[in-house]
Amino acid sequence: HALMIVFLISTLVLYIIVAMVSTKLTNKYILDSQEIEIIWTVLPAIILILIALPSLRILYLMDEINNPLLTIKAVGHQWYWSYEYTDYEDLGFDAYMIPTQNLVPGQFRLLEADHRMVIPVESPIRVLVSADDVLHSWAVPALGIKMDAVPGRLNQTAFIASRPGVFY
Amino acid sequence: MLGQVAKQLKSHPALIPLFIFIGGGAAMSMMYLARLALKNPAVCWDRKNNPEPWNNMQPDYQYKFYAVNTDYSKLKKEGPDF
Repeated sequence: HALMIVFLISTLVLYIIVAMVSTKLTNKYILDSQEIEIIWTVLPAIILILIALPSLRILYLMDEINNPLLTIKAVGHQWYWSYEYTDYEDLGFDAYMIPTQNLVPGQFRLLEADHRMVIPVESPIRVLVSADDVLHSWAVPALGIKMDAVPGRLNQTAFIASRPGVFY
Repeated sequence: MLGQVAKQLKSHPALIPLFIFIGGGAAMSMMYLARLALKNPAVCWDRKNNPEPWNNMQPDYQYKFYAVNTDYSKLKKEGPDF
């Protein structure tokens, strides 16, 4: 069936091409219209520039440092995250995912961890993400953050949790 | 070739805005690339005199192209020199 349709369409296209190319008529209906062409070149260009300028501004705004009150290091391993809070004293722990067979009713599959990363609410927080062995990526979609964890490199991301709760 | 283009432009003046926008866009992207190549502290051109420019960064100098809320000239310098 599919081959039939393919042959049908290609025959149609070939016929149209041959008919367009081998006609003896000159087309009298192509008009030359410079004014409207100018308008529909300039107007979309202006609209796109008007979209691009605030967008670039937001791009640079997202990159700014927001004077974080707390710095947390998230290091990715195979296959767990280890968090270090070293601002005031040395605190570090590993966070393993709870395997599906150990879940209690009410917990989310593949999302729960045995030790959660705890953060103060309504405070700017900086997270330095790195990895120990292979490439990982640290993401919390509910907070809108994702940062790749590259071994040998420190990536920084900052966020503010505006309400108390558990974010996945 | 430029003469050909000029002749076609005279008979089709609607192409002039096209040249302006496309040429302007290409020029702006080339200029930004050049700025990144020359003024980005992660790039090293002169290995003898300035081998690691990322070690000489100042806290009160703006390295990015556009800073919305941060005034870099007002920031203090903490910590010792490298």
